[in-house]
Amino acid sequence: MELSESVQRGLQLAAEPSSVDHRGFQALVDSCFRSLLSSQGDPAVLDEPELKHVDRIQLKQVHSAATTFILEAVKQDADKSAVSSSLEELSFSTERIEIFYSSYQKHKKELERLLASIGRSPARINDVSWRLQYNTKNGQLDKVNEPSYLISLNTENQGTSEDISFTCTTEQLQDLVGKLKDAAKSVEKASQM
Amino acid sequence: LLLDLLERHAFTEQVFCFSSVVEEFGHIALESLRRGSSPKIYESAAKKLFVPMEMVQHGVEGLVFLLMESSKHMISEVNFLDCVLVLGFSEEVNRFLLKLYQEHQGQIRTIMKQLICSQPTYQNLEWRLDVQLASRLLRQQIVPTVVTRLFLTSGTDSSSRVLQTDPRTLLHIIYTLEAALAAVKTSHTRRILRNIK
Repeated sequence: MELSESVQRGLQLAAEPSSVDHRGFQALVDSCFRSLLSSQGDPAVLDEPELKHVDRIQLKQVHSAATTFILEAVKQDADKSAVSSSLEELSFSTERIEIFYSSYQKHKKELERLLASIGRSPARINDVSWRLQYNTKNGQLDKVNEPSYLISLNTENQGTSEDISFTCTTEQLQDLVGKLKDAAKSVEKASQM
Repeated sequence: LLLDLLERHAFTEQVFCFSSVVEEFGHIALESLRRGSSPKIYESAAKKLFVPMEMVQHGVEGLVFLLMESSKHMISEVNFLDCVLVLGFSEEVNRFLLKLYQEHQGQIRTIMKQLICSQPTYQNLEWRLDVQLASRLLRQQIVPTVVTRLFLTSGTDSSSRVLQTDPRTLLHIIYTLEAALAAVKTSHTRRILRNIK
């Protein structure tokens, strides 16, 4: 893995027992994964009691370097040997590599999902609601007498949600469901390949 | 309905004496129902028939009104003939008007239905199965996505939206909409549909 100089420096600090002790290292690794996965941008993530005696500036350097390293490793789908050799080069002990790798393995899937969800894409459909109504008459026509559906698709695009509503007859709804079923069938077929 | 018709048709009586003229007017009336009225058509028809343009316009408007009102209430053959009888046209003209009404009733109702649709209507759905393989942030991935294009029409405008969903949500949507389709077949719905006529 190619790492920038500042990331290398930060990681070297993490490898050094005199700047981060054993208990502190475990807490540091945990807080790095936590800040990527759950507590987004929360400054309190470094306020663990185990990290109290680490120099604050160094702690921030280490934190940013370690999170960058984690993201880069997940991005390239790095396996154990790739992670180990990178950390060995930065003079990490076998024990610390083991601690880091077990956390990495534990959270990798979740991080992959997170990274895959970032980027541009069309609005996604999250849910659908419907209403059946019987259209009897209106200002223009008497004796319409046909059932119709009001369909509302709940969509979401980059955090903003929007409802797309339309009406359709029973036949049109059958057409829509038929096409969606075709799509579902082809997904199923593709997943069996 | 009758009184209204009488008033509007007062002008047209003389014109409707010949069945060939009525036929011409019938065509123009249907055209203006489909595409909207245009003075140009009135003008050329007036030249052809050697009558003032206003007469053509009144005649066509009266005919359009007759067709729309009859189609709106879906009146029976007997009622329709009763209506036109009052206008004092010849038997031949009355028969032609009835034929015109009966043949185009469905189409006229379809046109009129579009007038009230304030909400977009479903037209079509296209879909595509995509698998996301890599992105700037993640080099190796397999994320199946169903991309759809939903076509809607609103009056004469049509629009389309590109939407995507994952396989699990797709199954949920199908399941929900199948419940909607089943709702129209329940005894509750059928009872209402039978009784409101």
